[in-house]
Amino acid sequence: MSERHFLLVVAIVQGALLGALIVLIVLNRWFRVRRSTRLNPRREAVDASMRRWTAGTAPLTGVLVGLSRLPVPLAIDALVKWSARVPGERWRQLALALEHNWWARLVRANSNSARWWKRLECARFLSVAAMPQDVGRLKRLITDRHPAVHVAAVASLERMENQSLTLTALDRLPRLAPTVQAYYAAMLLRSRPVVVDHLQKRLRRAEDPALPRLAEFAARLAEPALRERLTALADHADPEVRTQSARALGSYPHRESVAALKRLVTDEAWTVRAQAARSLGMITDAGTLPSVTAALRDDVWWVRLRAALALMRFAAAGRNALLQAEVGSDAYARDMAKLVLGLPAQALAEFAA
Amino acid sequence: MSWFSAAIGTTDLTILVYFLVLNSFYAVLLILSIPEIWEQTRLAEDEDFQRLMQSDALPPITILVPAYNESATIQASVTAILTLEYRNYEVVVVNDGSKDDTMEQLRHAFDLYEIPRVYPETIATRPLRALYRSRTRSRLLVLDKENGGKADSLNAAINASRFPLVIAIDADTLIEPDALLRLTRPFLLGREIAAVGGTVRVANNCTVKDGRVTDARVPRKLLPGIQVVEYLRAFLFGRLGWNRLGGNLIISGAFGLFRKEYVMAVGGYQTSSIVEDLDLVVRMHRYLRRNKIKYEMPFIPDPVAWTEVPESMKVLARQRERWHRGLIAAMWQYKTMLFNPRYGRIGFLAMPFYAFGEMLAPVVELLGYVITAVGLFTGMVNVSFALLFILVAWGYGMLLSIWAVVLEEVSFRRYRRFGDLLRLLLFATLENFGLRQCTVWWRLKAFASVWRRVHVWGDMTRKGFGRDEVTAVTR
Repeated sequence: MSERHFLLVVAIVQGALLGALIVLIVLNRWFRVRRSTRLNPRREAVDASMRRWTAGTAPLTGVLVGLSRLPVPLAIDALVKWSARVPGERWRQLALALEHNWWARLVRANSNSARWWKRLECARFLSVAAMPQDVGRLKRLITDRHPAVHVAAVASLERMENQSLTLTALDRLPRLAPTVQAYYAAMLLRSRPVVVDHLQKRLRRAEDPALPRLAEFAARLAEPALRERLTALADHADPEVRTQSARALGSYPHRESVAALKRLVTDEAWTVRAQAARSLGMITDAGTLPSVTAALRDDVWWVRLRAALALMRFAAAGRNALLQAEVGSDAYARDMAKLVLGLPAQALAEFAA
Repeated sequence: MSWFSAAIGTTDLTILVYFLVLNSFYAVLLILSIPEIWEQTRLAEDEDFQRLMQSDALPPITILVPAYNESATIQASVTAILTLEYRNYEVVVVNDGSKDDTMEQLRHAFDLYEIPRVYPETIATRPLRALYRSRTRSRLLVLDKENGGKADSLNAAINASRFPLVIAIDADTLIEPDALLRLTRPFLLGREIAAVGGTVRVANNCTVKDGRVTDARVPRKLLPGIQVVEYLRAFLFGRLGWNRLGGNLIISGAFGLFRKEYVMAVGGYQTSSIVEDLDLVVRMHRYLRRNKIKYEMPFIPDPVAWTEVPESMKVLARQRERWHRGLIAAMWQYKTMLFNPRYGRIGFLAMPFYAFGEMLAPVVELLGYVITAVGLFTGMVNVSFALLFILVAWGYGMLLSIWAVVLEEVSFRRYRRFGDLLRLLLFATLENFGLRQCTVWWRLKAFASVWRRVHVWGDMTRKGFGRDEVTAVTR
């Protein structure tokens, strides 16, 4: 084949492709318009029947028929949307009825699919319509490797109380990115007794590499039953664990917590000192005022900031300590006191958050 | 004359091979963009992810807004940024020694009061004059400093920032309200993200209300219209394709979210750089690869920022010349990364592509035109072959542009009107006749500027959004 022939073939192929792409664009527009014309009335019909059923003026059958007339992803969208609006007991009726629906059975079967978007569909469906027999599927989906799938699946904990499901999510939590961890934590709050019981055991394992993350989660719970364990962690060798302990102890105005925090505010790691200063400001025990005032002269800016903000919470005594520091000999303390005393209430609240 | 014909023949063959290799690579990018946009569209539509993104779990972000002589737009821009749908963010505006009353406008609009500077100057910058907080907007921090350029302003804002993620936004860029939420998606996916880029779209001819694009339109004028296609091509298939190849070398400076610790580790933005965003991203790649840190720098298409593009040939010429000058400077400065196994895919794929496929492309294209002309003149190339070659080259360009339109149509469909779609197709076709050759010329001029070591910023004349008056912005 000569160069000319080659180019000619390329030109013809290009021309054909160009034509095909333009046809594709036009067909895509046409298809979308047709699809929305066809589906919009069905979607509205589902919304209307959901409304009537929620108000108790129509039977559930209308909702089920309406859902089965929608494509599966749209039916799941409708379910997710309405799940937040329908009261729990009524919603359970719908979930029970869906168990025998043909399309719901197909969606459930997708929990094992090799395609992540099929598993996502299943996870989204189960997050609002799971029944006790779906626990096995949900456990698999919560441990799924695709983030969108396990994030969708863990939302089922908002509706389902099941010990093994909770423990599966709790096991996964320390290995997640901080943001997703926080989301998991919010979902796990509903199963508080199971979580607290499990954390009490896990927080005893000093060598557990997941300890910092578990302590962080435990701190979010602010659960009195965990105070003792979190206080014990104040002496842990890992500074990250001590930081989490310092952070958590601010929620426990107990003499043991205060004693631990007084130790932690002089810790060798600055992150621990900063958190301890903040927590002392949350408890505002008058006996800790000298420790917090001393932290105002710390070498690290963040510790000084936390200490100054903490002093502002000690009311008049703390404010006086700051005023003294503002004219004192320590340049670090002077600057920080000047900064914090000059902040308006709004900025103070923002900093303290 | 045998040496002459041999030289012409060899050059001809070299150009043909270059053309084949480069376009095959584009074809690979094109193919890779298909699964990528499909996955991204699905994730963008996932409501559970939307819920996660609206939860308290979001990572806090600092928005960096450098401003120089932006008196006319600064209040509206900052107000729009302060009303973004995101829970935990702060805005650091830097007045870079403006000669107009930008600082006064800020002081008046946001009721600013001076505070002492208490954070360390981690990256050296031009001296700060003062720091201000707002009595009405607690998220806002304003820095007033001596003029040092955009990179210097960004560095000053990074020093003052409190949060682990930073995003630089031009004061004249319009960010969609949910763009920040969407931009954090890769961070929520639990991946090791060093930076993430969003889509920049053309705002000319769009309806803008209260700092928001309310009706997306394709411009009727040729020049901005063609740039809409260019932007779609660059973002929707170029960068999406690079996601799958593991090496986005450009995260748009107008709209990119960075992990602050890495930006600081490489010393922030380089003030001597012509195109500071490209320079920063290359340095981050170099640092992360050298230190064997696992990372990704993806591009995601659904977060959108809108920007005004040049409507005159003069301004466009300056912009393109500057961009290419920046590319040449970066490729030269980081030449040791080229084909260096230490830098993995960046050294073996991204850098060679940008060096040979982008930087040298205008040289090769010019050579192609010259050889064709010489060949035709001397009778070594016949007319029909030359025309066929040009037809194929231009046809391929059109194919790529129309593919970008296809990706837009099957995914986000911002341009709802049929007339806009027709205009997109028309501009994708017209791009190859005239503007493409002009771009080659402007990019060739960049080589001359680099040779003469010219280092100036072009003037960007903007009309402003939703206003009749014309604002001149000079950096």
